[in-house]
Amino acid sequence: MLRASVFERLAIATASTALALIIGVSIVAAAGYDPVQFITSMIEGALGGQSAIARTLRFSTLFILTGVAVAVAFRAGVFNIGVQGQFVVGGITTIMSIIWMAPLLPEGVVGGVALIIIGSLAGTLAGGAYGALPGALKAYADANVIITTIMLNFIATGVVGWLVQNPLRGEGNAAPNTERIPEYVSFPNILFDSPSFSVIGLGIALATVVVIYVVMERSRFGYDMVTSGHQESAATYSGVSAKQTVVSTMALSGMVAGIAGAVFAIMIQGYYTDPSGIGTYGFDAIAVSLLAANNPLGIIPAGLLFGGLESAGSHIGIYTDVPVQLIDGVIGLVILFVAVPELFRMAAVRTGLGGDR
Amino acid sequence: MEGITKRFGDVVANDNVDFSLEEGSIHALLGENGSGKTTLMSVLYGLYEKNAGTISVNGETRTFDSPRDAMDAGIGMIHQHFQLVDTMTVLQNIILGHEPTSSGLVDKDSARADIEEICSHYDFNVDQHLDTKVQDLDLGSRQRVEIVKSLYRGADILILDEPTAVLTPQEIEDLLDVMEELADAGHSLIFITHKLGEALQTADEITVLRDGEAIGTVDTAETSEEELARMMVGREIQFDRPSRDPSTGASVLEASGLRVRDDRDLEQVSGVDLSVQEGEILGIAGVQGNGQTELVEALTGLRDVDSGSVQFHGKDITETNRRQRIKDGIAYIPEDRTTEGLVQDYTLVRNALLGNQTVEPFVENGMIDWDSVDEHAGDIIEEYDVQPPDKSTEAKSLSGGNQQKFIVGREIEHNPDVMIASHPTRGVDIGSIEFIHDRLLELRESGMGIVVVSSKLDEIQKLSDRIAVMYEGEFIDTVDPVETTEEELGMLMAGHNTTEGDIPRENTPSGGVQS
Repeated sequence: MLRASVFERLAIATASTALALIIGVSIVAAAGYDPVQFITSMIEGALGGQSAIARTLRFSTLFILTGVAVAVAFRAGVFNIGVQGQFVVGGITTIMSIIWMAPLLPEGVVGGVALIIIGSLAGTLAGGAYGALPGALKAYADANVIITTIMLNFIATGVVGWLVQNPLRGEGNAAPNTERIPEYVSFPNILFDSPSFSVIGLGIALATVVVIYVVMERSRFGYDMVTSGHQESAATYSGVSAKQTVVSTMALSGMVAGIAGAVFAIMIQGYYTDPSGIGTYGFDAIAVSLLAANNPLGIIPAGLLFGGLESAGSHIGIYTDVPVQLIDGVIGLVILFVAVPELFRMAAVRTGLGGDR
Repeated sequence: MEGITKRFGDVVANDNVDFSLEEGSIHALLGENGSGKTTLMSVLYGLYEKNAGTISVNGETRTFDSPRDAMDAGIGMIHQHFQLVDTMTVLQNIILGHEPTSSGLVDKDSARADIEEICSHYDFNVDQHLDTKVQDLDLGSRQRVEIVKSLYRGADILILDEPTAVLTPQEIEDLLDVMEELADAGHSLIFITHKLGEALQTADEITVLRDGEAIGTVDTAETSEEELARMMVGREIQFDRPSRDPSTGASVLEASGLRVRDDRDLEQVSGVDLSVQEGEILGIAGVQGNGQTELVEALTGLRDVDSGSVQFHGKDITETNRRQRIKDGIAYIPEDRTTEGLVQDYTLVRNALLGNQTVEPFVENGMIDWDSVDEHAGDIIEEYDVQPPDKSTEAKSLSGGNQQKFIVGREIEHNPDVMIASHPTRGVDIGSIEFIHDRLLELRESGMGIVVVSSKLDEIQKLSDRIAVMYEGEFIDTVDPVETTEEELGMLMAGHNTTEGDIPRENTPSGGVQS
């Protein structure tokens, strides 16, 4: 399936989703809730009307960006499980650099655009640096990337959580939040009239996909990286330094996660809060990337599917009496059916325990 | 084992091999990498299905479909890479798969007693480690755990696949002692190795394999290192040595006082000086494992040197990396085409870029021009007769000879100043061997400096202008291929430089090669 055609892949994903939903709905029915209403609410929540679509696309934007971050690393054979941490570090850096820079720039559209650019750049660089750290630990101290990135997630969440409670807490805020960024620092509402989604955000995500795709397929850096992921000894033979590659791969992956953090901070929140409560985009991204076989272009449909499910889930949680745990369970089933087979196949190939290459 | 034949596709790994093991003796199976030793033993151990031949154990004809069958017949194999679970204790590892049970539970006490008995019987120091995790043991102890594991499973016949490869000299001595004790106790051992000395020291009989054929079986008492070395690398096809003019070019690649360590931090190259001139082929001969691999890696920029220097066109390049040396013009045909030379699941087009990532027009300003890479792949396939002539095939589906032709073509098309070819024709069919030789000789004519490392004497004698013989990390001597006989080379490869003065030395003008 790693080499299945695009069509086969889409067909398999659709069939798996349908099967998972059938099982999920049976459980919902068995638990005594109305299955028909459940299905209707799901569709309504994902696609029913402008605000539902805006919500779906908002989630999709983040899943696409974080998914690409994971895909970059996985393609190079580096298991970056730390996208969540890099996402958080990117987000808080974006917010704080905008807050600190805002007094120095004129108010209004010009200042707003400048601050968005400055904030996004700062967030991207911070995410990249936070990704490069475990890369360097791998290269120069042989520390396992999976373990260090997981631990750095906790560190990011903990430290940023402390920062927004204490030194960075906005004046007079009861909640552990930073100040808000100025009103004029926001993406314009085009097509959708939603406070937390803008087509600009989705555009940034799609542009990132294209850039990463070109880097992977057309640049020397991408070829070196992907070759390392396929067969490290051959990459070394061709003059690729394994150490530099793991650091730069992690930095690039972290930078994309940083962009995701910046878009989340500017488009959705407008301030930063305790990261333990902002959602687990960086973890869900692993499933998104696996579903897309770590192909940047495949991340787009995979991200849309996950965005739709997430959106449907939040709608059902609000408008029906089905408990939220049950909804998460159904979404989990979809992930299990769609993405986990790919995970096992990849793990089998990498460990040499089987699977087709 | 009689008439064993094993083919992989169109490559014959074992060709009508006979092998017989006496009870209570040690039988060494000697041969170069790729000569079919491990394949033969894997057939015996039920890992591979043979294409022809019969296996009999204690006079009874047997067919092994899996290692489990072989184990039931009392055959145990200790692989080169230990088959142990690092995070489990020694005891758990030994009984894994053969746990004694009492009322459904693992009976550790009886297992412990059995293992302790085996250990005290053979004086292994394994029993005091029974509760230690394998990851905390050194490699020599892990190997003994493997041996105890096989004995615990009731093996009478033990196959040891290159058991000394990962050990330190002291551990090797200990292992050889253990092997002798096992043989004295009535076990029969097959000892796979490519090291002459170890085979002579331990074995009762030695069978030499070369290119999948059994060259002969000799009694250890009646043979010598020289005879074994000749049997291992001896002449198979009579190559005609093409006539040539002596090279007179300037020196392009030089190394002086080179010392290099391997991954285990053991010194493998101990002070090598060499110099290659334009239009010259320097052959490096030697039994595998005498430091050739590390020397080549140091010359190509893949391995750091301990001391000494490498010069290219008179410029010190000791500290430059592989990528810089590719740019400078040092091409490299690697020893292992499947893991290094080609990315197995890339197409030939993608493989055509491997090693060319810094070469224009394929890559400019960091961006790849896939059209020109594609064209380049097509040119290599056509010019070097790669079959099937389809650039969208994945490398792994090509036969060994065709993979090698593709690599040779790709490296030559770099248009380098120096070519380092490590075992350029290993595992390649005869037609492709001739083809690759012709290309290398053409390059020589065009003025390139070439280093050929090979353990095939015929190849070395045909191609080289000078032959440096490597033994235990040093160039033991440098000789003229025309005036040196195979016997003399065999002697040098076994480490006997007793013919000082007998072999006419070549007069090397610019430093040349000293031992």
